[in-house]
Amino acid sequence: MSRRLLIVDDHPGFRRTAARSLGAAGWEVVGEAADGEGALREAERCAPDLVLLDVGLPDISGIEVARRLHDRDPDLAVVVTSTHDRADYGELAARSGARGFVSKLDLDGKTLEALLESRA
Amino acid sequence: MNSSVAGVGQPVERSVARAIRGAADTDDALARALAVIGTGLGVDLVVVWEEDAEAGSWSCGASWWRDAGGAGADGLDRDELLARKASLQTEVEFPARSERGVLARIECFAARPTEPGPEMLASLEVVQVQLGQLLERRRAEHSTDVAFLRHRATLQAALDCVITIDHHGRVLEFNPAAERTFGISAADAVGREMAELVIPPEQRDRHRAGLRRYLETGEERLLDQRVEVEAQRGDGARFPAELTITRIEVPGEPVFTGHLRDITERRAAEAELRRSRARLVETAYEARRQIERDLHDGAQQQLVSVAMTLASARAALGEEPGDAGELLEEAIAELKAATAELRELARGIHPAVLTEGGLEPALRGLVRRSPLPAQLAGVAEGRFAAAVEAAAYFVVAEGLTNAARHAEGASTVEVRVQVDGGSVVVTVGDDGPGGANLDGGGLGGLADRVAALGGQLTVASPAGEGTTVRAEIPCEL
Repeated sequence: MSRRLLIVDDHPGFRRTAARSLGAAGWEVVGEAADGEGALREAERCAPDLVLLDVGLPDISGIEVARRLHDRDPDLAVVVTSTHDRADYGELAARSGARGFVSKLDLDGKTLEALLESRA
Repeated sequence: MNSSVAGVGQPVERSVARAIRGAADTDDALARALAVIGTGLGVDLVVVWEEDAEAGSWSCGASWWRDAGGAGADGLDRDELLARKASLQTEVEFPARSERGVLARIECFAARPTEPGPEMLASLEVVQVQLGQLLERRRAEHSTDVAFLRHRATLQAALDCVITIDHHGRVLEFNPAAERTFGISAADAVGREMAELVIPPEQRDRHRAGLRRYLETGEERLLDQRVEVEAQRGDGARFPAELTITRIEVPGEPVFTGHLRDITERRAAEAELRRSRARLVETAYEARRQIERDLHDGAQQQLVSVAMTLASARAALGEEPGDAGELLEEAIAELKAATAELRELARGIHPAVLTEGGLEPALRGLVRRSPLPAQLAGVAEGRFAAAVEAAAYFVVAEGLTNAARHAEGASTVEVRVQVDGGSVVVTVGDDGPGGANLDGGGLGGLADRVAALGGQLTVASPAGEGTTVRAEIPCEL
């Protein structure tokens, strides 16, 4: 199964550690973006299987980016993430059309795989 | 009989007011007023009988005699006066009244019978007040009665408007503060209906009805209490005023005195105070939001990265990591716990989801984390001012915490947010035993926060009916 990953987060430190950790777990990081506009552009360019999307982006809210990605390609798996927990953002994420919400504390390769396969 | 002075065509009370204004002193004013009255009534002699309370007798305080070309009959002794009026008969008699009661009786005599018409009778109702006021002033000028002089001086010096009215609502007295405040002279005010003078047109009927109701039934709603009303100056400008009306004890018909204070400045100060409190809440809100953002972007992100790096290190060690693996797993678990704790702290300072998604998702999160099972019964749609949403959020958070802590035996708690009459109304109600005493809890600070936004927080906890925390916060700041 193809596991092409786009990481969207305005913190370079998080992008670096996530890329290393998820890369070690078998994900192929095909792109990175630091804001909402970049995310929409990169998603088109690198055709990922899954977009890992932070909620708090500097230009457009992550929830809004998830909505636009979903509207453009309903089959694209978008996973919203944040240091906040599921009780806070789970519902907003689900309403945006995202595949799910994962707290950054619980983020690992297996969790993303489960979400990618959940509608495959 | 015509109620107007011949050739002038004005009601007698107007001519009297003009005569009084144009006089050199009170004696002159009285002489001029009597001439206007005598001519207006078409009588031959007008006598002012003043009561000397100490002597218990009545004496002539002033008079007007047609044959003398208007010259007064002052100083005439009683016999001479009686001789003059012997050929005449009493035609009209009326009292001169002030806020202190009847001061004198005015007797008018004529050689030929005359009958005042209804308009003249109505005019005399006003004239008796004008003369009472005048006699009062004249008495003050000549008086050595210390108590009386003190009373006058107090009224003259008062910073509050003092307006005394009779049972018809007519002005008996209008002090200098009232003259300044309303821009109307006492001479013009006395004798006129107070409602017409100082109350905005659309409120006059209510005022008149209140006076009538009091006189007919004794039922009063306004007496002896401070009320805030709208008043109107002579030029039509309106202003907020504080008014106290009391009935003063004088013999005869009821007399009322109103103390009125222009509170325009106080109102402005109150409004500024409200605005500055709201600004303080806004500032505090912004500060908290900034702290939350700093925590989120700084410490939380770094801790998350460290946890992920440790997880990678643990994975790199493979299947047989030995003691290092155990130590790493322990470190990861502790780091996650610390990060979760920091997350709770940040949420307590300001819930980021509130800024992001508004009240509904934020309250859903609160309800989900509530220790006591909670339902979100409804949340008004749309967004409100950030400080309003934050206040509503913390009311719910504190309400849920309180319910879990105090409502022993409660099985559920219901949260509701509605918009009602321009306010966001938040309720958090449990089905516990009620009778909760929530003084000194976190609700006190919240009540201040809600009040600073112009709202109100109440707690109802009747025994056997559960506890409900309710906050009403105006939508528009």
